[in-house]
Amino acid sequence: MDERSLLHGYLVVGALLFGIGLVGFLSRRNLIVMFLAAEMMLQGVSLSLVAWGRYHNDWGGQALVLFILAVAACEAAVAMALVLMLFQRKHNLDVAAWQTLREANQPDFVDEDLDVAPEDTPAWPKLTPAGIEPKREPEEEAYRAEV
Amino acid sequence: MSNFDLLIWLVPCLPLVAAVFTGIFGKPLLRGKSHWPVIISLAASFVASLILLWQVYQRASSEGAPGGLGYEYVTPPLWTWAAIDHAWADAVGPLRVDVVLRADPLTAVMLAMVTLVSLLVTIYAAGYMHGDKGYWRFFAYIALFVFSMTMLVSVSNFLLLYVFWEAVGVCSYLLIGFWFERPAAAAAGKKAFLVNRVGDFAFALGVFLIWTTFGTLDFHDPVAAGEPLPNGARYGVLGPGMLESGYAQLGTILPVICLLLFVGACGKSAQFPLHVWLPDAMEGPTPVSALIHAATMVTAGVYMVARCAPLFLTLDPWVGEIVAATGAFTAVMAAFIAITQTDLKRILAYSTISQLGFMFLGLGTMTVAGIVAGMFHLFTHAFFKALLFLGAGSVMHAMGNVIDIRQFGGLRRRLPITHATFLIGSLALAGIPPLAGFWSKDGILAAVYDKAHGQGDLADAVVFWALLIVALVTAMLTAFYTFRAFFRTFYGDERIPAEAHGHVHEPAAMDAPLLILALLAAVAGICLAAYSDFVARTPSLAFISRNTAHRAVENVHWPIAVASTAVALVGLAAAWVLYVAAPSVAGAAKRGMQAAFVYQLSLGKLFFDQVYYVLIVWPLKLAAFVFRFLDNFLVDGIVNAVGWLPAAVGAVLRPLQVGLIQFYALATMLGIVVLIGSLLWWY
Repeated sequence: MDERSLLHGYLVVGALLFGIGLVGFLSRRNLIVMFLAAEMMLQGVSLSLVAWGRYHNDWGGQALVLFILAVAACEAAVAMALVLMLFQRKHNLDVAAWQTLREANQPDFVDEDLDVAPEDTPAWPKLTPAGIEPKREPEEEAYRAEV
Repeated sequence: MSNFDLLIWLVPCLPLVAAVFTGIFGKPLLRGKSHWPVIISLAASFVASLILLWQVYQRASSEGAPGGLGYEYVTPPLWTWAAIDHAWADAVGPLRVDVVLRADPLTAVMLAMVTLVSLLVTIYAAGYMHGDKGYWRFFAYIALFVFSMTMLVSVSNFLLLYVFWEAVGVCSYLLIGFWFERPAAAAAGKKAFLVNRVGDFAFALGVFLIWTTFGTLDFHDPVAAGEPLPNGARYGVLGPGMLESGYAQLGTILPVICLLLFVGACGKSAQFPLHVWLPDAMEGPTPVSALIHAATMVTAGVYMVARCAPLFLTLDPWVGEIVAATGAFTAVMAAFIAITQTDLKRILAYSTISQLGFMFLGLGTMTVAGIVAGMFHLFTHAFFKALLFLGAGSVMHAMGNVIDIRQFGGLRRRLPITHATFLIGSLALAGIPPLAGFWSKDGILAAVYDKAHGQGDLADAVVFWALLIVALVTAMLTAFYTFRAFFRTFYGDERIPAEAHGHVHEPAAMDAPLLILALLAAVAGICLAAYSDFVARTPSLAFISRNTAHRAVENVHWPIAVASTAVALVGLAAAWVLYVAAPSVAGAAKRGMQAAFVYQLSLGKLFFDQVYYVLIVWPLKLAAFVFRFLDNFLVDGIVNAVGWLPAAVGAVLRPLQVGLIQFYALATMLGIVVLIGSLLWWY
């Protein structure tokens, strides 16, 4: 295989990685998954850089990729800290919970319920509770209500 | 600059300094003492004008003899206000306006009279306006006015004359509307200025025509002898060069110029049909009425016509006849209106219009006797009319600002000095010998009589005979309405209106000017001979005396003197009978006049204001309404639309910022795609 088609292969894979990362960043609502997609975009670019470096016989491509990897690691640390802070405010990892950076008087973007017919809720039998209910702490209630 | 030049410049500049000083420091610093800078500067200006008068008298006696060329002097230019000598001015002719003042007999007597009356009125006003919250503003305006008036009579250029003509109009507006919170006063100020403006429009046209005809706007010849003015004109409009050659070669443009100038003078001096502003101007404080609307500003028109008299003396005498006829008509019309008015100041206002008509009658004869008599009447009228106005102010002050003669009476014991001085003023106004008014009025009537007799042309003689009869009728009406006001105010049962609050007194600051003016009104007649001889040495008037036959003014013309005194005494006697001896007859006379509609015509001021409202004011108000509608709807609409556009664009773009981070990321990506796409497209 000549250098040209090798390069094409690498670039296509790099582009695919970048594209998947882009689509993932734009469409996922979980903060951590969005960050994952962003990292994937970075990896796609790195792959392209390495490919061009091999093609032109220039070590600069690989050298820059090393820098990118290091910086990406730091950025991951910062991003995790930010996500943690955001979670502690809303106890929710949904990016749609943060909509206030906008013009005044704009309507909120809320999730609409799907138009589905309500399922027939079966009538569950009423059983007498068995055992003693464990004691619950009020602070725990606040964030472990659904657990 | 020689001492003489300095003297000429000091007379107007001292009041200017006082005006600026009082204007800046009056409110914070001087307040109740704001009259001191103005009084001091006016006194100094008066002394300077007396010295100037004496100097001009000496020079005129030695240099100008009667029948000679007269005496005039112009100062070197202080600076050049306008000089258009560029090449493009060749199409219309260049223009040069130097700020130059002149000193000749006419200017000197006007300056002396203006500064003296201003000084006396200002001293009076210091007492009258005491406690007013705009005290400092009043004196600043008065000083500014005196500066404008003295400059008006001193400048030697038509454009500068126009500037100060407007300046006295502005000061009059400021002072009439001095109590601007009163709507009547504000409206009166506006009316005065707008009616003046109509006259000024004609005056401006006259000045333009003078420039195109003569090539220059200066009165005097160029200072360096033989040096031509930049436009090639060698002579000033009223300089010795032009006067020597006569104006015959100018043709028919000259009467047009004269008529336009005369319309301007009608506006300023309140002649028919531009007289309507003067009675309303009585809304201003009484010292303002005394100074501006009796003695000084309204005489500016008379001064201007007297100054330009050589222009009026054209080949045919019809221009002068128009001046005289307008003056006589105005005189009799104003006298007719005055006989039924009930507001003392308005009676005096119509009296002023009437006497100004007399002055124009004298000037219209276009003989040196007539012009000098007209100017002498201006001189004496200033004294006795200012006296009458200040007396009315004294009555107003004592009666608590009530000026309706139906509401007070019999004041001669409570206001003795005012009574005595008002009597002297009334006698002078009526023209009873030996007071000053008799000599001046008699001079005018004698000049008209001479014109009626000395004409070879029958038509002109008839015109002047008619004017003479009108003038005698006016003299009788003058005496009648003057003494009607006098008797109703000071005689009869004593009635004090409630507004007086019992404080019926005469302050000392107001008495001294009254006494001085009464003295002048009484004895000024003895100056007639010296005055006439002196003023006749002005180059313009010397030209007229060379070109017309004239009778020496000193000779008393007995038939006219007897006739004028007789009609005045008839008027006085009629007033005595109606208002003192048999008041019931007055009621019968009034009913008789009402039956003949004469009374309503006179009381309604000949319905001039109503006619002007229908003809002029109402159409303008309609036009203003239309334009305001257009302005609000069209112009404001365009401006608002320009402001609406960014808001609309913003409203469209605003929903793009929803706060969703992924949406922003998508927008960023799309932007990058577009950018890269466009780069790839170009390369």
